[in-house]
Amino acid sequence: MAMPNKVITIQSDLDIVAARMAARDMAKSMGFGAIDQARIATAISELARNIYLYAGEGTVTVSEIQQGLRKGLQVVCEDQGPGIEDISLVMQDGYTTSKGMGMGMPGAKRLMDEFEIESIVGEGTKITCRKWKRP
Amino acid sequence: MDIVNIPILKLENFLIASVQVALYDMQAIQFKDAVLQKIYETKAKGVIIDLTAMDVLDSFVGRLISDIAAMARLMGTTVVITGLQPAVAITLVELGLELPGVTTALNLEKGIAKLRLITENNADGNA
Repeated sequence: MAMPNKVITIQSDLDIVAARMAARDMAKSMGFGAIDQARIATAISELARNIYLYAGEGTVTVSEIQQGLRKGLQVVCEDQGPGIEDISLVMQDGYTTSKGMGMGMPGAKRLMDEFEIESIVGEGTKITCRKWKRP
Repeated sequence: MDIVNIPILKLENFLIASVQVALYDMQAIQFKDAVLQKIYETKAKGVIIDLTAMDVLDSFVGRLISDIAAMARLMGTTVVITGLQPAVAITLVELGLELPGVTTALNLEKGIAKLRLITENNADGNA
């Protein structure tokens, strides 16, 4: 059975808001509570902004997932940007190269339940994160 | 792109702005500039920025709110942020953004009371 999913292309700051609204709408329709909806929307806002700031463009794919009896929401953020040289560095609180407060990546990780980064310098970055519904 | 349309109202010596829509980055920057310009034009002693209607506050807008408060302080004006929803307060702290140096109040009414107190104390101090 195909689970609902939605792809948002990130090319401008308008798309950052579009991505987090799409994630929030899906979280709401799946029955996530208000606080988890805000956590998911905020995490997606941080990750989509990173795409816009560092890669220029990319995609955010939001999908409903199921593992056994539990349901979750998965967000995949992909770009063909410069890639991340030192992943442990960008996961440090307070590390920033530009316009943020350095909370984007570690903050997004804290807001979600699972968080994986794959990145190849010169090829791009793929971040997959998930939030599971409390039973 | 549309210029953001957030009315900044003057009430006695204070300015009140209520953010009702999700702000794009550019709009958020325009809002910051508009608040500072309005402080300069009206010589307001205090500013309330009401965020009751905001259901998401990310690090970009969080930083901007901190910036507005710091810049207004340099101009001699106090900013009070009001109406943060529980979900927004929780995600801000989990994100690592505790907005140090930003004065907050539960709602608009308490915000005005706080602003009165702060600006009256400042006036006493200067007398």
